[in-house]
Amino acid sequence: MERELVLSGIGGQGIQLAAQVVARAAIAEGREVQLFGSYGGMMRGGNTEATIVIGDEPVEAPPTVGSTWSAILMHHDYVEPTLARLRPGSIVLRNSTVYEGEVAVDGIDLHDIPATDLAVDLGNIMTASMVMTGAYARLTGLVALASLDAAVAESLPPYRTKHVELNVTALRAGWEAAC
Amino acid sequence: MEGSEAIAEAMVAAGCRFFAGYPMTPFTEILEQMAKQLPPVGGVCMNAESELEAVGMAWGAAATGTPAATGSTGQGLSLMQESIAELAMARLPLVVLNMARAQGDYWQATRGGGHGDYRTPVLAPMDVPEAVELTQRAFHWAATWRNPVLVFGDYYLAHTSQSVDVQPIDFGPAPDVSWALDGSSGGSGRAKLVSPLGTQKQRDDVGYDLSEHYLACAAATHAMLKGIEPMAEVALCDDADVVVVAYGTPGRYIRAAVKALRERGVKAGYVRPITLLPFPTEAVARAAEGAKVVAVYENNQGQMVDDVRLAVLGRTPVSFIGGLSLDTSGFGIAPDLDVTILGDRIAGALS
Repeated sequence: MERELVLSGIGGQGIQLAAQVVARAAIAEGREVQLFGSYGGMMRGGNTEATIVIGDEPVEAPPTVGSTWSAILMHHDYVEPTLARLRPGSIVLRNSTVYEGEVAVDGIDLHDIPATDLAVDLGNIMTASMVMTGAYARLTGLVALASLDAAVAESLPPYRTKHVELNVTALRAGWEAAC
Repeated sequence: MEGSEAIAEAMVAAGCRFFAGYPMTPFTEILEQMAKQLPPVGGVCMNAESELEAVGMAWGAAATGTPAATGSTGQGLSLMQESIAELAMARLPLVVLNMARAQGDYWQATRGGGHGDYRTPVLAPMDVPEAVELTQRAFHWAATWRNPVLVFGDYYLAHTSQSVDVQPIDFGPAPDVSWALDGSSGGSGRAKLVSPLGTQKQRDDVGYDLSEHYLACAAATHAMLKGIEPMAEVALCDDADVVVVAYGTPGRYIRAAVKALRERGVKAGYVRPITLLPFPTEAVARAAEGAKVVAVYENNQGQMVDDVRLAVLGRTPVSFIGGLSLDTSGFGIAPDLDVTILGDRIAGALS
């Protein structure tokens, strides 16, 4: 059984980092993982998207998927291709702080997480994607919170190691918010 | 591990100790990885000033018997065509990566744009684990046949991360490199020569016979094309009404689309050429037997479709279901690469 996660947002929200953290956590748990990230040329504000497929056998799915088991929507801009991949039963997390508009897809399991607000409360707006990732772990059970903690340390570049603790705190805030 | 990193690790595992290139997405990522990975193993990676310079540097390294590679996107490979042709005529091993933008470089890869009667084997991996194997195989073939070998990838391959463990593959005894230049025989009167014009120095008394060299090269090319077994993944074709042919990343999408169609009761199968040269003509011909139609998907306006037509020789109708598909980046991310869209096109080829 393969489980898909599509993350969509705008450049600067941490989509690619969140995708790497989830992927590394799943690898640490012994799963087979495939990750494909794509983003536009703009460092801030452009389209950014990532597709993760997690399975117990070598992943058969191609780099991008036609429909997804779950999704994290950080922003409404550029979200249409991801909405088109939702199917009945898809677990969808919406960043309710900044996402404007409805997610008009029948039968999905939609959860609103004020990720950007929570990140600001923690002292750094840039951790919003980690808040969302923590919430995702709790709502889907796909990866354990402890695996995410370790994956954050692995995913941040050496010059950002001082931010590991804050990001781990953000994961926990998301976990708590998703109860 | 991201595809670029895995391909670089595979090159190092295959013994590559010289790499030169000029940055161009999505090849740049491999160049960066080689710059990281080669120095610790005693190798050299050069960021050249152009693709022309890169292939020239790699040529020089190859002439010393050092396992060497270069690469670019198809655009950069256009610049390298003259040197690739000359390398083939000098009978030098070299691995050339084409991290292509979409699949418009099929003819460039399989026919080549250089001069002379040369061919270059082409390997087209569909994903990261396969790229790790085929990249190492490319070094083995290049050394065995003393000929440039191409590995044809794309943006998806470069940027997809997959669980993979890169281990050296044993392809048997290392090929002879006694032809390589090592500087040891200078002034002895028996100095070796590696040149597109042959291995004999011109001497006043006996002259110079180019036909001998060109005929020897032609014989070597012939032996290489006979000696390399074409590779293809064939599945679900025995009872298939529609057989789809696709290679590289699109081959993975086609596999998923075919399996989804089977669940809907559509009798579909697929052939995924792994070697584009030599082309798996027999595998395609066999798979097409009994099919109502052969559908070809490529992310271009139709190039491999000609090789498929040559394989089926008019015995089965061939329908082209591909077409150039690009997002705004132009890097080869294709909106058409969607299992549902491709499934509809495959089913449509039957109607």
